[in-house]
Amino acid sequence: MMFGWTGNLLRVNLTDKTIKKEALCPKDAELYLGARGLATKIIMDEVDPKVDPLSEENKLIFMTGPLTGTFASSGGRYEVVAKAPLTGTIGASNSGGHFGPELKYAGYDGIIFEGRAEKPLYLWIEDDKAELRDASHLWGKNVFETTDMVLEETAEDARVACIGPGGEKKVLFAGVINDKNRAAGRSGLGAVMGSKNLKAVAVKGSKSIKVADPEGFMEACTDARTKLKEHPVTGGGLPTYGTQILINILNQSGALPTRNWRDGGIFEEAEGISGETLTEKYLVRNKGCFGCNIGCGRITRIPEGKFESFGEGPEYEAGWALGACCGVGDLEAVSKANFICNELGIDPITTGTTIACAMEMYEKGILTEEEVGRAIPFGDAEGLVELTRMIGHREGFGDMLAEGSYRMASKYGCPELSMSVKKQEMPAYDGRGVQGMGLEYATSNRGGCHVRGYLTSPEILGIPEKLDPLVTEGKAGWLKTFQDLTAVVDSAGICLFTTFAIGLPEISSMLRTATGINATDEEILKAGERIWNLERMFNIKAGFTAADDTLPPRLLKEPLQSGPAKGKVVELEKMLPEYYEVRGWGVDGVPTAEKLEELSIE
Amino acid sequence: MKVKFFATIREHTRSREIDVTEQGCGSVGDLLQYLCNLYGRGLCSLLLEDGKLGSQIIVLVNGRNVVHLRELDTPLERDDEVSIFPVVAGG
Amino acid sequence: MISPEKCIGCRTCELVCSFTKINAFNPKNSRVSVFSYDEAAVSVPMMCMQCEDPSCMKVCPTDAITKTADGLVEIDERKCIGCKLCVSACPLGNITFNSYEGKIVKCNLCEGNPKCAQYCPSGAIEFKEAAPGTMGRKKVIAEKFSELFGEVNE
Repeated sequence: MMFGWTGNLLRVNLTDKTIKKEALCPKDAELYLGARGLATKIIMDEVDPKVDPLSEENKLIFMTGPLTGTFASSGGRYEVVAKAPLTGTIGASNSGGHFGPELKYAGYDGIIFEGRAEKPLYLWIEDDKAELRDASHLWGKNVFETTDMVLEETAEDARVACIGPGGEKKVLFAGVINDKNRAAGRSGLGAVMGSKNLKAVAVKGSKSIKVADPEGFMEACTDARTKLKEHPVTGGGLPTYGTQILINILNQSGALPTRNWRDGGIFEEAEGISGETLTEKYLVRNKGCFGCNIGCGRITRIPEGKFESFGEGPEYEAGWALGACCGVGDLEAVSKANFICNELGIDPITTGTTIACAMEMYEKGILTEEEVGRAIPFGDAEGLVELTRMIGHREGFGDMLAEGSYRMASKYGCPELSMSVKKQEMPAYDGRGVQGMGLEYATSNRGGCHVRGYLTSPEILGIPEKLDPLVTEGKAGWLKTFQDLTAVVDSAGICLFTTFAIGLPEISSMLRTATGINATDEEILKAGERIWNLERMFNIKAGFTAADDTLPPRLLKEPLQSGPAKGKVVELEKMLPEYYEVRGWGVDGVPTAEKLEELSIE
Repeated sequence: MKVKFFATIREHTRSREIDVTEQGCGSVGDLLQYLCNLYGRGLCSLLLEDGKLGSQIIVLVNGRNVVHLRELDTPLERDDEVSIFPVVAGG
Repeated sequence: MISPEKCIGCRTCELVCSFTKINAFNPKNSRVSVFSYDEAAVSVPMMCMQCEDPSCMKVCPTDAITKTADGLVEIDERKCIGCKLCVSACPLGNITFNSYEGKIVKCNLCEGNPKCAQYCPSGAIEFKEAAPGTMGRKKVIAEKFSELFGEVNE
């Protein structure tokens, strides 16, 4: 009997349509915790890192953590993991909502999908019953339609994760969307699902999750909940303004990348797309994910006009990518484009940044109006909305954009205009003005990404300590700790946002009392380090080297022209060797044999 | 100088931006004291805690957090831009 | 007191309720359920309203359901025979037969300290002693729910 974990996995072979229940290996659970860590371990054991991500040899894993579905605040998370088509690295994308907990109530920690179905299918799980059903009639439907139709056919109180047309058409940055608006958005895992002809997963459960020490667990959860409630960020700023609150402070700090990062870190129309404006004009209501006492989600409505719409978001990264990065200051257009991303099941960060790259290519004369089908200067709000739609359907020039900025720009001979790392676009913090984030992008195991060690928190927001964003000294050590802790949080099954108010001691305490494992805080952080190194090893075996731990030339060679970081580039050459050293890796960026042994990685 | 307010700070100031031409605002400390007098106790308790820079706000001068400059002693010039935020986060 | 306009749909109430009743986490065993309506952008926590004139009490053939002096509608498990007439009688569907526990269940206000109200992050569920004023408001809200559910069912 396991506590926290259910102890069961479901293995679904789509090729021969067999479904097997398997026991979770308790040793792996203790070493890799759950969700991101545990799923990566399974991928490492079962998938050759060199496979084509869209071939049937790749596997797709949905995995919860030991805190998912419990009273741990924000325990609504699960992770989707596969080799990623956008980057070729390990792909792991985390999502909230209600799907993850429901999977655990049905009695499973996770589902492993392998092979490829001949015709579209969806999986319906109701406790011990699991069946593959025909999904031909769902193919082509958007995320909202699919979710409603599957609920109609299964149970109205089931939970659904699915792909939209983006995933079906293998847009390289398609996401898996659950509960209509919550996305495992990055790295193109929706395209992996599409390549397997798997349209949706519906689940309904009636089982209980037991914890090892119920009283101790409630005490640990209550302590964490109290700290979240009382913290000015998780109890104040986030619920009041949502994540878009960051637009103004990044802009004032000169680190809000503008017009494909060409025009530095200050967007003159930032106020128009800010969290303040969103709240004042368009917010209908806050929405919380399962069991969360932060509640940063936004239900928003554009009441009228050509961008009239209703949905959730946009969140900060999406608002920035579709807004400042494209030079669009019209929040109505940005919201509309964001809603379309959710409907069609594509990642708004890569969508916005790829459109921004195309806009720069257009302004440079590399792309023509004939090719694109319209003029696309920076700031073109209607173009933004139209191109977003075209990407999701791979329609017209959308087919090219659907490959992401790196492949598109390379095709036209200008890869330097793609603001990506390992082919995945960087999000909303200019590393030239936030040096630690520059290092974070270069070393992230899934390419350009902000949730693999969020140094913006100490560098700009001053949490938990205030680090000078323009200084490089010491950032490598901070980044290692943040990367390892983030791996713990993702793998535990709770939300990264909790870490604004709570840290390793609180999270470890919840993990110990939930699972009964007898591990110190340090050992739990070590699990994070183990996960990080395992991901790194996957990438190395997939063919990545230290040469890939780099940034677009714009960040390394073009100094910012204005703002507090004027004259700065990312001083990566200063930080990267130090980072390898604190990681215990060789100068070639490969974990040493001693390091792997220390971490019990075979 | 231009002083900009953001997020919940605006609930106290009821404005997004003001121009401070007052003599005697030669440092961040002077400016915060001036804003205290202008907007009253609610805002003041955020800006200053026991005469020190409040722990729940972020003050930028020309985009630089004053904790990385000279905190309350950071000098202010006429054409400087000051931004005041509550502690915020997200992403 | 329930204020649906404050509810963020997080279901923390369901989690803590199930833990209080069965010492494990399982929304299906919670005495409170949150219903979310995407199009209307509204979520409603539903639980026993401790009615002034409880239908469940009236139909109970063994008098297992009583209204206590401090307003609580109480089930005497020794008298209950599990006939489920009360389940049919409750106009709000707030009393159910739980097959896992093998008994009729509903909110019992956690003996005067409802955990759902204690942990509700947005103040959508509050516990206040039933003074005449709040009782009136409670009724108004209960009626609103009925209307809302009427609309949704159509």
